[in-house]
Amino acid sequence: MRSDRHILLTLFPVYSVIVGLFLSGLMMLFLGQNPLIVYRDILVFAFRDIYNIADIFAKAVPLIFTGLAFGFAYRASLFNIGAQGQFYMGCLASVSCSLYLSFLPKPLLLSICLLSSLIIGGLWGSLIGYAKARFNANEFLLSLMSTYVAIAIMNFLIRGPLIEAKGEYPQTDVIAQSAWIPLLIPHTRMHMGLILALLVAAAVYFILWKTTLGYKIRAVGMNRNAARFAGIDEKKIFVSVFFISGAFAGLAGFTEVNGIQHMLVQGFNPMIGTEGIGIAILGNTHPFGIVMSALLFGALKVGGALAVQVSNISSSFLGIMEGFVMLSVIISYFVRQRIMSMLEKRRLQEESKVKAL
Amino acid sequence: MIIEGLLARTIQMSTPLIIGALAEVLVERTGVMNIAIEGIFLLGAWASFIGTYYTGSHLIGLVAAVAIGVFAGLCYGYVTVNLKQHQIVTGTAINILAVGLALYFYRVLFGVPLIPLTVEPLSMLNIPLLSGIPVIGEVLFRQNVLTYLAFALIFVLYWLLFKTKAGLVIRSTGANPEAVDAAGINVDSVRFKAVLCSSALCGLAGAFYSIGFLGLFTEDIIGGRGWIAFAICFLGNWNPIGAAIGGLIFGFADAVSIVIQTSGFKLIPNEFVIAIPYILTIVATISRKEFRVPEYLGIPYIKEGGR
Amino acid sequence: MSLEDRDIVVKMTGITKYFPGVLALDNVDLSIKKGEVLALLGENGAGKSTLMRILYGMYRPDGGQIKVNGQVVNVGSPKDAMELGIGMIHQHFTLVPVHSVVENVALGAITDPKRSFSMEETANEIEKLGQTYGLEVDPFAIVNQLPVEMQQRVEILKALYRGARVLIMDEPTAVLTPQSTEMLFNFIRDFRKAGNSVIFISHKLNEVMEIADRIVVLRSGRVIGEIPREKASEQELAQMMVGHELGEIKLRAESQAVVSKAEPILRIENLKVKGNLGHWAVDSLDLEIFAGEIHGIAGVSGNGQDELTEALYGLRPVSEGSISLKGTPLTNCKTRDIIDLGVGYIPADRHREGLVLDMSVEENLVLKGFDLSPFSQKGILQEGSIRQYATQVIESYAIKTPTPDTPVRYLSGGNQQKIVIAREVAVAKYLLIAAQPTRGLDIGSTDYVHQMLLRARNEGKGVLLISTELSEILSLSDRISVIYRGRILKTIDRRDVNIDEIGLLMMGVTSEQ
Repeated sequence: MRSDRHILLTLFPVYSVIVGLFLSGLMMLFLGQNPLIVYRDILVFAFRDIYNIADIFAKAVPLIFTGLAFGFAYRASLFNIGAQGQFYMGCLASVSCSLYLSFLPKPLLLSICLLSSLIIGGLWGSLIGYAKARFNANEFLLSLMSTYVAIAIMNFLIRGPLIEAKGEYPQTDVIAQSAWIPLLIPHTRMHMGLILALLVAAAVYFILWKTTLGYKIRAVGMNRNAARFAGIDEKKIFVSVFFISGAFAGLAGFTEVNGIQHMLVQGFNPMIGTEGIGIAILGNTHPFGIVMSALLFGALKVGGALAVQVSNISSSFLGIMEGFVMLSVIISYFVRQRIMSMLEKRRLQEESKVKAL
Repeated sequence: MIIEGLLARTIQMSTPLIIGALAEVLVERTGVMNIAIEGIFLLGAWASFIGTYYTGSHLIGLVAAVAIGVFAGLCYGYVTVNLKQHQIVTGTAINILAVGLALYFYRVLFGVPLIPLTVEPLSMLNIPLLSGIPVIGEVLFRQNVLTYLAFALIFVLYWLLFKTKAGLVIRSTGANPEAVDAAGINVDSVRFKAVLCSSALCGLAGAFYSIGFLGLFTEDIIGGRGWIAFAICFLGNWNPIGAAIGGLIFGFADAVSIVIQTSGFKLIPNEFVIAIPYILTIVATISRKEFRVPEYLGIPYIKEGGR
Repeated sequence: MSLEDRDIVVKMTGITKYFPGVLALDNVDLSIKKGEVLALLGENGAGKSTLMRILYGMYRPDGGQIKVNGQVVNVGSPKDAMELGIGMIHQHFTLVPVHSVVENVALGAITDPKRSFSMEETANEIEKLGQTYGLEVDPFAIVNQLPVEMQQRVEILKALYRGARVLIMDEPTAVLTPQSTEMLFNFIRDFRKAGNSVIFISHKLNEVMEIADRIVVLRSGRVIGEIPREKASEQELAQMMVGHELGEIKLRAESQAVVSKAEPILRIENLKVKGNLGHWAVDSLDLEIFAGEIHGIAGVSGNGQDELTEALYGLRPVSEGSISLKGTPLTNCKTRDIIDLGVGYIPADRHREGLVLDMSVEENLVLKGFDLSPFSQKGILQEGSIRQYATQVIESYAIKTPTPDTPVRYLSGGNQQKIVIAREVAVAKYLLIAAQPTRGLDIGSTDYVHQMLLRARNEGKGVLLISTELSEILSLSDRISVIYRGRILKTIDRRDVNIDEIGLLMMGVTSEQ
């Protein structure tokens, strides 16, 4: 099945993005806007200057993490819909360390914040894995609900022990300079969290395809029965996959709190978990694809946020664009399958004609 | 008095959960999970609010909710049943779209108002005679039309599933679609219709939150309750009676949470009180053993080499 | 009326069908007469089921025409087929296991406007039909609680309830004991006497010779020949099926079993294992297997074989009793430990349990060994060693694959099974469990598998062979045990084998009765 025609087919994610943007463009027309102008604006603004280009990367960082979170679990045929909650728990862990341990030297403080967000996010996620292993519970529902519980915990802490000194708004104080992630490019928002994200993406690739753990994960994901017959302990896989997945989402908490916001505000970044799902699917649940998709969405957000100020489109239109792109990705899988089986049928018909001669 | 109030509230809050759970039972019995349920709840809430706001008529609002439910069902059904794509992925896409669309079009129409716009919520209909019964009358027969619909729906669905030809086909489709196919019935057609009906009902369920109860629309008006309805279907063992009981239990949790919040009872922090329904779902999900899952739930029906 | 003069009730001409990857039917002609039993004979994959599914409206042909009673018809769905009086008994029953018999029959007739939907009326009709044709069944029983031959009756009643005059039966004896097969044949004869027709799909020569009036042989999607039964011989039919001179299938009895009767390699004592429905699937089972023997377990499927093998491999909990391998207890051990102790397992369903279809050939070959050196060091896969091992195995087992990297999904059934066997034989230092090892394979691959099992036995391993194909058990086993309702009724040495006795034992009739 490795023929040249199929190279064209592997570019399908690109096609589906184009289709998704096209559909969004149609919707814009319907609303009386000129999509060409809007898209031109988005491109122009996104790449207008270093600050914006850097911002693309900055916006992509948490998406890479939540995308990897969903995608990694998906490889084991597990559905982690709770990345949003794991992200919030990671935020809480990191901001707490930043607030209470601010007397520590920067490298140590940052390391602790990083580790804490990773561990807390991971533990929060592993609860789901454990429930699935022990009770055969439905992880889809559990992970969904866990986000709402995480939100409750976050709201409680932010309005209580962690609240800012002024006590006015539901948010923490700004964290000390020593807890700020250093910038990669000065006078922008692109911070070293990007390197962390790329390293983690590379690690995911390595884990999945070069280690025995990854082998087990993929086997369980592709055929749970065969994996059991081969002596693979699926329960251990459930717990470890959810831990790792939750840890990734938790790390997004570290990068967002310590790298961008420098504080924790109630209800911030509320769609990061869901967007991560969309990005994972667009990126074919492969770390490389996920990074690319995250960058694409980052560009849409940066350009879009500015284009919105110039044109009449509301910022919430970006959500619609994301949705369209996701839908067209899904439909593209179908189209691709159909094309491949049509090609096969035609090939067979030609072969049997040759035989008959 | 407090008890009556609490019970009345319970019935009220369980209405959308029961409608949603019944809708999910209907569709999952054919083997399809309606993962777009949360999004359709939201769209129903939004559409009914818009409809009622502009026309002043609740009926138009409800019709709008059903219409948008059907429309979403068309999209979801087409992709998952006809194109046989992954249900969870497709449902998530629609949920993302739903949030975007609802929010966007709300802003387009109303901007970002300082004070949320309101409509008069559905009025309570007193059923003559029955509403006079002490205690029960207050609780059960002074509710709005959606609640009465929910009650009726429990029995209608039960009768449909277990006493009719259509019900036999529906149940068989989820248990063994090959058997249905061999009987000469188009499996995809059964599933698609079930998705449409289910989505229409979910739209109505969502409408409850905006025009049935709060009288306004915000982007987190549903707040995960579509998912709770989804969970109730599981926990109720895919049975209308079970779904009704589940809906009541969670409606109770919702009602308790509201009562505690408004009463100023400060022992448990507010934030956790809000989370009661979700925690309850988690507990129930863990302790329930699914022993009557429709065998082919979630698996697209692919006829080998067929048409 | 002689055979030639009878009316043709169904005529199929020029039927062609493509599937992804294969030309399933190539210009096939077939006609069925009233009051005849026509056998469709051919190997697995010859196209018999496909052809009949087209007749039954489940598939659409890519070319050709169907005539029923002289009229050209378009059989677009099973509904059309049933209205034309064509019914089908599938190999894998199209029944809803959790529903009752009445509900299943009612479902089958649901598109018939003339039928009422009253459960009582349907139940009465079921009882009547049952008595007429000797197919009695309790209408209100739940299907998954019925034994397999009763489930088959329900499947047949569904078609009769719908008024079928032409009954297509797809490998109906696959799940039956010799005695139940005889009962089925009686039904077929009664059905034919009433002027109806039966199309009997099978790959079993002896049965075809017994029941058919006329035999059509299919091979690779083409009609090879058509013979009335009086003129047919098993030799000729086998040749037509396979396409070349078949050497005598050697009676394996010749090669001496190297049975070491000293200590059993596997000892099962008083084993009790619960089934999915809460019943005792394995009910005080005792069994011993020695090194250097092939021990066959004969029995109708559903008598505890699956649960027994799952318990042996740590995939199902043991409630009572013990299992030990060379003295080491195996009861309720983890699968991983059992594998490490040297037990291999060729599962009945290679797609579901034996292979990860989307993984490559080499990845599947190390499915049980990837965690050990040299295939991995400290948790990191050693791709070089894996590749080397795979290349070796591919050569020595003659596995046809473009590269070791190719996903197993694209290999033929026979080659896929070779991968499973290669892997399991390597794992099985002492014991090899083989469950339905030749299911769905063509004659060449079946032969290969049998060779492999014999080789394992000759190397001094113990082989536990479980198969519903009695002929396979008989030709390979050194000793045969018959399982019935979770218990071993009797163990017989190959020299003392008596087919009737085994058939009776499979039905639970012991000689003491």
